[in-house]
Amino acid sequence: MNKAAFYDLDGTLLSCNLVTMHAYYARNDRSLVKSVYQLSKVVLSVPLLFGLDLYSRSLFNVFSFRAYKGMHRDRLIGLADDLFEVTIKPSIFPQAKALIDCTRDLGYRNVLVTGTLDFTIRPIALHFGFDEIICNRLEFKNHIATGRVLTPLLAENEKARSIREYAAQEEIDLAQSCAFSDSSADVPMLSSVGHPVATNPTHRLRRIAMRNNWPILELREPSSTFPPFLRPAKAL
Amino acid sequence: MKTLSPWRWNAVRGEYEAGPPPRPHGSGQISAVDAFRNCTMLLMGGTGFVGKVFLAMILDRFPELRHLIIQVRRKKNVSGEQRFFSDILNSPPVRPTVDRLGGLDALRQKATVWEGDLDEPLCGISAEVLAHWKGKIDVVVNLAGVVDFDPPVNESFETNVYGTQHLIDLVRLLDTRLVHVSTCYVAGKRNGKVPEDIEINGYFPRRDESPDEQFSVQKELEWYEQFVKETRESRHTNPRPVRERLREGGMNRADYWGWTNTYTYTKSMGEQMLAQTPGLSYCIVRPAIVESSMEFPFPGWNEGFTTSAPLVLMGGEGVKGWPVRKDGPLEVIPVDLVAQGILIVTAAMLSGKSKRVYHLASADENPIMLPRLVSFLGMNSRYKHKHKKEGNRLANAWKAYVETQVITVESLQARRSRLHRGLDIIHAALTLGKTILGAKKVDPYLKSLRDTRRQIRAQEITLDKFLPFMFHNSFIFETRNIREAAAMLTDEDLRRIRWNPESIDWADYWVNIHTKGIEKWIRPMFGSSKKPGTG
Repeated sequence: MNKAAFYDLDGTLLSCNLVTMHAYYARNDRSLVKSVYQLSKVVLSVPLLFGLDLYSRSLFNVFSFRAYKGMHRDRLIGLADDLFEVTIKPSIFPQAKALIDCTRDLGYRNVLVTGTLDFTIRPIALHFGFDEIICNRLEFKNHIATGRVLTPLLAENEKARSIREYAAQEEIDLAQSCAFSDSSADVPMLSSVGHPVATNPTHRLRRIAMRNNWPILELREPSSTFPPFLRPAKAL
Repeated sequence: MKTLSPWRWNAVRGEYEAGPPPRPHGSGQISAVDAFRNCTMLLMGGTGFVGKVFLAMILDRFPELRHLIIQVRRKKNVSGEQRFFSDILNSPPVRPTVDRLGGLDALRQKATVWEGDLDEPLCGISAEVLAHWKGKIDVVVNLAGVVDFDPPVNESFETNVYGTQHLIDLVRLLDTRLVHVSTCYVAGKRNGKVPEDIEINGYFPRRDESPDEQFSVQKELEWYEQFVKETRESRHTNPRPVRERLREGGMNRADYWGWTNTYTYTKSMGEQMLAQTPGLSYCIVRPAIVESSMEFPFPGWNEGFTTSAPLVLMGGEGVKGWPVRKDGPLEVIPVDLVAQGILIVTAAMLSGKSKRVYHLASADENPIMLPRLVSFLGMNSRYKHKHKKEGNRLANAWKAYVETQVITVESLQARRSRLHRGLDIIHAALTLGKTILGAKKVDPYLKSLRDTRRQIRAQEITLDKFLPFMFHNSFIFETRNIREAAAMLTDEDLRRIRWNPESIDWADYWVNIHTKGIEKWIRPMFGSSKKPGTG
């Protein structure tokens, strides 16, 4: 049987999130006026999105994806490399790459399981060297985003279901696999594997991790040590 | 990197569809595997952009091929055989396949090299070799040709016209069949859908405007001989360089009959020579503008100087105004699809089920409209200039943030006039400054101005070359024949080769594959005499 390392993205490997990613597209519209208008909309929506994220990650995703309505897919793909350089790359946590290299060296298949949208993922996946990606996709009609996300919306329980389905297809032993996330919304995903790791956890996830004896990892700190089940490779 | 999703992109409709892509299914009337298993193939022009990908693909996908003979030109002191084994097989697109097949020694069992040249009678193949192989070669695939748009007319004629005659003589002597690769643009200056069944013989694009005129290859050869003779003889009386006048003469002659350039004019003549040869068993494959590979040998492979590479490079340098049709596609096709198309046609020919002409193009099924390409060029420029460390910061910011525009040719001319007037004023001011401040202080600025003018002029020439394909005409080449041939393959064949331009996700292809491929493989070589990928 194979084993896999499942990674969440936002907050786990990097500090930026769906809102900062959309803010990049908003401020890079085709004209200055459009950019200002789009960016204003993003700024005004921040309190609502903050509240929604506390209540439900799925609702947060649905609302944040609505902001893409009317955008051309060509532009979303065409600016993705710049988005990566400007917004995403500077927000990558110092130890993130080392962790992914470590799980690869230990024979895990690195799989990114994220609510982030597909067109933003490509440069991230190439940077980290992910083998496989499970992510969200926007709905398009004639290349224009409708603002809706294609089902199933990847968040909370759906992430866990996707992992189980993937494991069944690829003959992955989930008991030997590990998962990394920062959010309590991903508790179902973390609970699906034998080695869950609360990574840069929120207060709520930290409490859950301590209750369940899950290791806690801080990728923001260059001096943090990896959990025991990952240490042999690091020592090598 | 693999994305796992229950959705697949429908490039034509511009939306995602549920479910995995349908499994390809063919009627099985043609078996490419069987056709190639019993086949000895002679490949002409296997050293070019398409040629190398075709060579790698047939070796990779059809290891059953009985034997491959490849014609390679001698280059100075390097023999054809040396070039093949040291340069071609070691080139980036071929090397991975050679390694997979067991290295150069394994290839020596499979392939024979003929040193030859299309420009020579019987393609420069010795009589002994031809006598030995007569009747033993099943098909000749010809990919050789001069693909420059406007070379001196003699260079184009020697390979694309006289070379075709040499090829015909060779095919007849070997008593075999010919798959001849030409170009879709033999259609010339016309608009709309271009069918595959237009009569080849006597064709010229202005035929509808001038029904009384007749085009004859023989008369064109007479014109050519006379023109070249007169041009060379007037060497001492005409101050303009002979090479330049030969270039201009070819372009003018092409324009007179309605072709876009010397390349398409001479390629059409080559086709007409095939059509006029009684008893010749042949078919013609016409690719559109051949671009970077989608998947094979790896995404983004490109070494074509006559593809859209100059445009992509210009876009990357920050050109903002693009004269293109708002309602027209650019007929581009990835090189690995072209190689697969030629393999399908060759299999059809070997199975006795081929048609006369096959267009290999994309717009018939999945057009990429020109304004979308302009937008891609702009986004590439934005990325490059935003992250550029050297150069003027203000100029970089302008090139990064000012969006590209679709403009008309008239607007382009007005912009050019304004630009040149501005440069003239700067030049006059610098010349005045030189008299006041001295040469030492001003000369560096004058030199910089000269370099800028040279660069602008080069960009203008490149853009003008592409205008027939982007602005003056709007082509859609019908591709019914290749689709029908692909549908006749077996399921096993379709696991190895496909004809599927409808599946090209143009945004992903142009941004993540083609542009990056050009930046990686072409930009370092641009302006250098060494062509990429030649080891």
